[in-house]
Amino acid sequence: MTGLRFDTYDWNGGCEAMLRFGPESGPIVIAALPLFEEANRTRQFTCTILRALADHGIGSILPDFPGTGESLVATVDAKLSEQRRAYSELTQQLGAHSYAFSIRSGALLDTDADLTGRWHLAPQTGADLIRDLERTRAAAGKSDRGDEYAGNRLFPEMLAELRDAVPCQDGRYRVVRLGTDPRAAHATYAGSPLWRRSEPGSDIALAQQLAADIAHWIASCEG
Amino acid sequence: MLVIFEGTSQVETTVRAVLSDILGLSADRVATFTADTPLFGALPELDSMAVASVLTELEDRLGILIEDDEIDGEMLETFGALVQFAAGKALV
Repeated sequence: MTGLRFDTYDWNGGCEAMLRFGPESGPIVIAALPLFEEANRTRQFTCTILRALADHGIGSILPDFPGTGESLVATVDAKLSEQRRAYSELTQQLGAHSYAFSIRSGALLDTDADLTGRWHLAPQTGADLIRDLERTRAAAGKSDRGDEYAGNRLFPEMLAELRDAVPCQDGRYRVVRLGTDPRAAHATYAGSPLWRRSEPGSDIALAQQLAADIAHWIASCEG
Repeated sequence: MLVIFEGTSQVETTVRAVLSDILGLSADRVATFTADTPLFGALPELDSMAVASVLTELEDRLGILIEDDEIDGEMLETFGALVQFAAGKALV
């Protein structure tokens, strides 16, 4: 069974939904979307990558985390520490060779998990994420509206946790960026930053290139 | 491509690419922008959310830092004004 399936996983604080793509045996990729608005902008693109990974024979999971997607935890109650715990417990339950595929601030979620490797697309630090949120809030003229950021109400604890959060680069690590991003990367690909577009669409050619990169990297890690 | 300021053609190219990539404008359309082309208030795609995205993407690509109190209507009024602002940051 390799088509798209809906599933759930349990963690210490509840139950969250997840999408599964591709085979359930062999190495498994856990995709983490960026937090907040960028998640909406990259979801379709991410699913395109995960379908392409299935074509490479690699199974994957796109989970919700507490406070994201269809989670019963409200955004205002989201905490980075709980999202990391849910990620870790999901990884434990999989029991396979698990690889993180994290996009932008999604790279802040895989930190505590027991993973075989981490593959990050244009990873973003918590400080840069907060800067983005505050700029968006200022641009919308809502700087006096207390805890509302770009339409999301955030718990002060979440902001405090994000402030010092940086992507984990331990173990087998590969960072990939767009060609327009001057920061250090193992590889760069041509494409637009869909996560910054209000009408992002998808980019099938880029998705296929990234899926091939992930598949090749996993093969080298497994070999 | 029209070069607005001496020594800023690289910055101008980057600003054009960012407007195209972030606002979803075609490269052909953005290529017609001149120094006098009005931006904020004239491009429906450039709403306040998009302004934040454009400036942050410019920061990333040019390796510059834009302080929030530097952001005003003037720098976004025309394409030329935005290039001049970005060049002033990038070419210091």
